Amino acid sequence: MNHLPLAAALILATAVPAAANRVFVSNEKSNDVTVLDSDTLEVIGTYPVGNRPRGIAISPDGSELYICVSDDNIVRVFDPETMEELHTLPSGPDPELFVLHPSGNPLYIANEDDNLVTVVDTQTHERLAEIPVGVEPEGMGVSPDGKTVINTSETTNMAHFIDSETFEIYANTLVDSRPRFAEYNHDGSKLYVSSEIGGTVSVIDPTTQQIVDKIEFEIPGVLPEAIQPVGVRVTNDGSKVFVALGPANRVAVIDGETDEIIDYLLVGQRVWQMAFTPDESLLFTTNGNSNDVSAIDVESLEVVKSIQVGQQPWGVVVAPDAQ
Amino acid sequence: MRNWLFGVAIWTAAAGIAGAQPAHDPTWPCIQRKQPHLSLGQVWTGPQPDDATAAIARDPEVRRLAAYLEQRRVPMEDAEARITEFAEDADNQHLTALMSAVFHQIEPERSALIDGIARYGTSQQDLAKRIEARRAKMEELEAAASPDFDAIDAEEEALDWDERIFTDRRQSLTYVCETPIILEQRAFALGRAIASHLK
Repeated sequence: MNHLPLAAALILATAVPAAANRVFVSNEKSNDVTVLDSDTLEVIGTYPVGNRPRGIAISPDGSELYICVSDDNIVRVFDPETMEELHTLPSGPDPELFVLHPSGNPLYIANEDDNLVTVVDTQTHERLAEIPVGVEPEGMGVSPDGKTVINTSETTNMAHFIDSETFEIYANTLVDSRPRFAEYNHDGSKLYVSSEIGGTVSVIDPTTQQIVDKIEFEIPGVLPEAIQPVGVRVTNDGSKVFVALGPANRVAVIDGETDEIIDYLLVGQRVWQMAFTPDESLLFTTNGNSNDVSAIDVESLEVVKSIQVGQQPWGVVVAPDAQ
Repeated sequence: MRNWLFGVAIWTAAAGIAGAQPAHDPTWPCIQRKQPHLSLGQVWTGPQPDDATAAIARDPEVRRLAAYLEQRRVPMEDAEARITEFAEDADNQHLTALMSAVFHQIEPERSALIDGIARYGTSQQDLAKRIEARRAKMEELEAAASPDFDAIDAEEEALDWDERIFTDRRQSLTYVCETPIILEQRAFALGRAIASHLK
């Protein structure tokens, strides 16, 4: 019975051509990227990309794959089809995570070691600005209209609201300890900020920059300190929010309307970041300590497969549909 | 010389950053966040153990099997085969008891390891302080109007040894810090294998 939705998805997938997308997973420790097929859920190949790859993103047209290679202190850009390096983009020291403007340009990079967010033009490869933020900048988010960029600073415990035109911080919201990730829902009415040590997700109203709700997690048989929220993803309709809970080895599913927890799904060890397929049928999670990726059926909330990848998978991105 | 100095600086800086965050333990030397205890729910989604499963977990046969499964030199395929054999006439209560027994073998071992790493971190910090003190003393001896060259030689030799020990320990730290994760991986893999037989 449980396999029915998957079976239906597979039938649909075979009926509609070109449904497969490439899934790119950055492996922090083995210094490579594993490429998966979203249809067969099999590994297509593994490609060296530089030292300590973490943040990973793809351009909206699917032509460029961006990877923060933290120990090389640079962003490397690859052809997603051939996995050949095209060029590099400047960043500050130890780039960890970045976010692309919805238009695909520019790229906003959090540099963990120098308390700056670097803004880089993806066309000219020029550095447009360096924005001073709090200590140990980490999470990056961008509003759906592209007007606001969010950076979270791990030690200052703030979400900084940055105007994407002037590059100035116009508001700061204090959140719980060690904010890791910032994600808007698609109508821009809610901003979710996860706090790894605080163990919470703050729900922020972007217009007032005030916290309107705080999601707390409790899992039977799991010590509270093992619950460390990191990656956050929201479905397009805003109805479901997924939160990766790190060493709790689970993904929390939250009702996007009520902010109530619907379920906890056991995935792999130290679950870190997540990415949807464009049709949102599957959600992929990187599990750093079990060296695998879990594929979650978004509709049935079942973990349908674990796929072994490289050493310490960190980030994941799925290529857009072919245009 | 510059290398070890850099090492001491990094060590002290790391301790400083860690000290600024109350959630961090300043004696903890690993990049991985300190997690003193593992909880069963991190590696198991089956029923929670109760008094009845605790009694079964104490059964010598279950304990022997748990002790066998826990050994890292036993390949997972062999462990899975033994679990399948056990599962043939085991209900959920017995499977939960087996997992509970496995967990209670691995958890204390892991906690002891974590304590050991913390001790290692503390002694490394002490050594870094001693190296700094020895260097200060060397400078003092060398700056004297009539330097005592025998004392300088003795101090230099002691300093060389301390530096060597410090560097050797720092190099083995990466491996030391990985060991708790290896135990967690084993617990998780066994949890997944046992849970696959839940009815």
